[in-house]
Amino acid sequence: MTALSPLSVALLVAVTVGSSAAILAWRERPEPGATWLAVLLAGQVWWATFLVFELEAATLPAKALWYDVQWVGVVAIPVGWLFFALAYTGYDRYVTPFSVGIVSVIPAATVAVAAAGDPGNLLAVDHVVRETAVGTFLDVVPGPLYYIIAGYTYLLGAVGSVPLLQLIRDEARPFRGQSAALLVGTAAPWAGSVAYISGAIPVPGLDPTPLVFGVSGVAYLLALSRFRLLTLAPAPRRRARQLVFEQLHDPVFVVGTEGLLVDLNECAAETFGIDRRTAIGESAAAVVPRYDAVSDLDAEGDKPRAIPIVGRDGQRPYEVTVRDVVDDHDRTTARVITFHDVGAYLGQQQRLNVLNRVFRHDVRTETNLIKGYAEQLRSDPTDERALSVIERSAGRMLELSERTRTAGELFDPTEESESVRLPRIVDGAVADARSIDPDARIEIGEVPRVAVPAVLEVVLENLCSNAVRHNDAEPPWVRVDAAVEGDWVEVTVGDDGPGIDPAEYDVLDRGSETPLRHGSGIGLWIVKWGVDHLGGRISFAEREPRGTVVTVSVPVDRSDVPNAGR
Amino acid sequence: MANEPTRPSTPDGTTAKYRSHATPPEAGRLRQFAAFVAGAPFTAVVAAVEVAVVTVALGVPLSTAPVAVGLVAFAVYAADHVADAAGDAGSTPTRARVALRYGDQLMAAAAVSYGLAVALAVSAGPAALALVFVPGAVWIGYATDWLPAAGERLAPLGARVGPLGEVSLPRLKDVFLLNSAAVAIAWAVAAVAAPLAFAGVPIHPVATPTVAPLFAYVAARSFVDVEVPNVRDVAVDAARGVATLPVAYGVTGTRRILFGVDAVAAGLLTAAAATGAASTTALVALAVGLAVSVTVTALVDRLGDAALGVAPDCSYLVAGAVLLMLGW
Repeated sequence: MTALSPLSVALLVAVTVGSSAAILAWRERPEPGATWLAVLLAGQVWWATFLVFELEAATLPAKALWYDVQWVGVVAIPVGWLFFALAYTGYDRYVTPFSVGIVSVIPAATVAVAAAGDPGNLLAVDHVVRETAVGTFLDVVPGPLYYIIAGYTYLLGAVGSVPLLQLIRDEARPFRGQSAALLVGTAAPWAGSVAYISGAIPVPGLDPTPLVFGVSGVAYLLALSRFRLLTLAPAPRRRARQLVFEQLHDPVFVVGTEGLLVDLNECAAETFGIDRRTAIGESAAAVVPRYDAVSDLDAEGDKPRAIPIVGRDGQRPYEVTVRDVVDDHDRTTARVITFHDVGAYLGQQQRLNVLNRVFRHDVRTETNLIKGYAEQLRSDPTDERALSVIERSAGRMLELSERTRTAGELFDPTEESESVRLPRIVDGAVADARSIDPDARIEIGEVPRVAVPAVLEVVLENLCSNAVRHNDAEPPWVRVDAAVEGDWVEVTVGDDGPGIDPAEYDVLDRGSETPLRHGSGIGLWIVKWGVDHLGGRISFAEREPRGTVVTVSVPVDRSDVPNAGR
Repeated sequence: MANEPTRPSTPDGTTAKYRSHATPPEAGRLRQFAAFVAGAPFTAVVAAVEVAVVTVALGVPLSTAPVAVGLVAFAVYAADHVADAAGDAGSTPTRARVALRYGDQLMAAAAVSYGLAVALAVSAGPAALALVFVPGAVWIGYATDWLPAAGERLAPLGARVGPLGEVSLPRLKDVFLLNSAAVAIAWAVAAVAAPLAFAGVPIHPVATPTVAPLFAYVAARSFVDVEVPNVRDVAVDAARGVATLPVAYGVTGTRRILFGVDAVAAGLLTAAAATGAASTTALVALAVGLAVSVTVTALVDRLGDAALGVAPDCSYLVAGAVLLMLGW
């Protein structure tokens, strides 16, 4: 074996380090970027290896042959670098067979020209064997294709560096370290190449690029081992953030500064029945629900307030928050509008509020009454009136207790929501009301056979019972009607009683009670909670000449109704 | 008992729970180191000695081939031990524990080792470079899931063009006889061709009569060296569905077959000697090594697990020692 030239020895270091790094990168497949990093490193090893063969070859044809073979490695490096950078930083949607094919056209053409013996001197105008102290190599006068592939290499290298440069400023230290090591590993051969093309190398004709592959290999090895490159790649972060946006259970809209819809998530499309393909690009006012009210909210910190919006699940109260999307120059580029369904939260708050009042006021009042008349009974055990008052008071407490239980069952999360035909619910509610006063005249109008959620049963039972119980007419009169309008069914319960005190439904409208302004009992609250639970609406009106008409609108259940016929 | 006061358990009044104590040297660590050395490093030394003996037998100048082949052997076996660490837990538990615990470090060492071998091969020329990839390529087909994965990718294509679609490609390691034959041939290629390639000696027509029998001899011996440790692994291999000679023919049948292979190896040595081109000293050394192999095969059911793992390979170490003693 003849002694190797100093250049060859230096290149063998690059081969050793590059091969090791390539094997370690290959082992990490299918981690994002692993295959492409292995391609890049294999390209470096290939170039350095065949440069050694060129240096050690004895004849000009042999040197020219190994020079041509080097092109395979030369052109593989920028392609490997670009797709590694894209895959590693999470831009993997650009790494497709098509994009790889397109990007590889010029490299493949270069290899083809080299394999064909460089017809027309496209790659090299002339070859001269140059003997120097560091080795005997081929001094090449570059042809036009040489400059094209060199420029193309720089272009791919620059494009690949952009996403990595973004990571340099990342808050996560491992990613900063990884990107710094990768950029050093790439910048070193670039510097060698620039020095060669600009003629800054003291040995004329020597391209030092493969010599600094040793530096690249060490940098990549450092990134692989010290900074856990590939085992801790930032690639999933982009997908994860996108996934959070898409899978968020709150509807989200992104509106550009010109008031056009830029994006919306899956939940927004489903909840408000929006076609994503046609909605994007439309005016936000035409797509975003209640955009007039929403767009007035201050992105800087307006306290969110509940806005009732009709969507897939009927009418629900949404707390809307608006956040500005700001770029690196503090310019607002869009607004993110998030709708958070606070129906369940508000309902819980109301129930706590009302139950607190029931215990603090209603139960206490009845208990004082019972206590007072019990004292009276002690002094006069024959006082029938006292006994009767105590009995009625205890009855009211029992009824209150029953209704409280009903309210609890209404929102039991373990209960599955069932569908029932509306006539069956109406019949049940009417039967219940008749049991209170058998003499009551209860009329049932036209009731369509649509399916409605079973919760409506509780609502109508309470409405019909109240219409009979709190009715001073002799006999009480009640009428139930229903009509379908689109996807909604409207049920009206009219009576000829004394009417509901406006203070009662004023409290319902406000949604909260105070010690001074509160309703009586919890019957109307149960009705309201039931309707809210169904995403429906309720309204109260006076009836001429006497009485009240309560109208309840709820969405028709269009799903399969297995038990509806029971 | 939960409220029982903790009583001092020693005369100094401290309790076992709170007493500081020096950690005794972990006896297992020495065993782990021994298991590691007996694995890939031992195989690397054996491979290097094997190539050196073959170099002498071929009569070519000594080159960096033994070092390069030793480095490749280390890389391939270290990677194999890491890749199959979970599966090896039954047959070589200590080595498997080392491979599981130091998997990343072993893979880094294997990668650097292969990188050095590639660099040595590059310095020796294109033929040496091509040769150094042979064991690595065979290992990829032998132990990794590359072949089955490639088979799965090609299956839809095969389904369109004919019955190929129903063929699934297994790992070479799981194919009866082909597994040992692939390893044996890969090492024979590396051991016989490497001395020629690294020394830059072409396979001259005059040298061919020596090269062919030596190649066949190394392949036959390597086959025996691969199958003998399979006697130790018979239960584990049977459980994993890996077909080996001991699994298929039992220990006695395996011994008979391996005696037959050793007999063929002896015949090949004789043929090499008959050409007159091979170094007699080296052939004597190889013959002594063959005798060691026959002895190990005879004792295959009486040697312990640890001995069975290294004994077959020791035949080349004995051959190397004999070569040195004979004044080479």
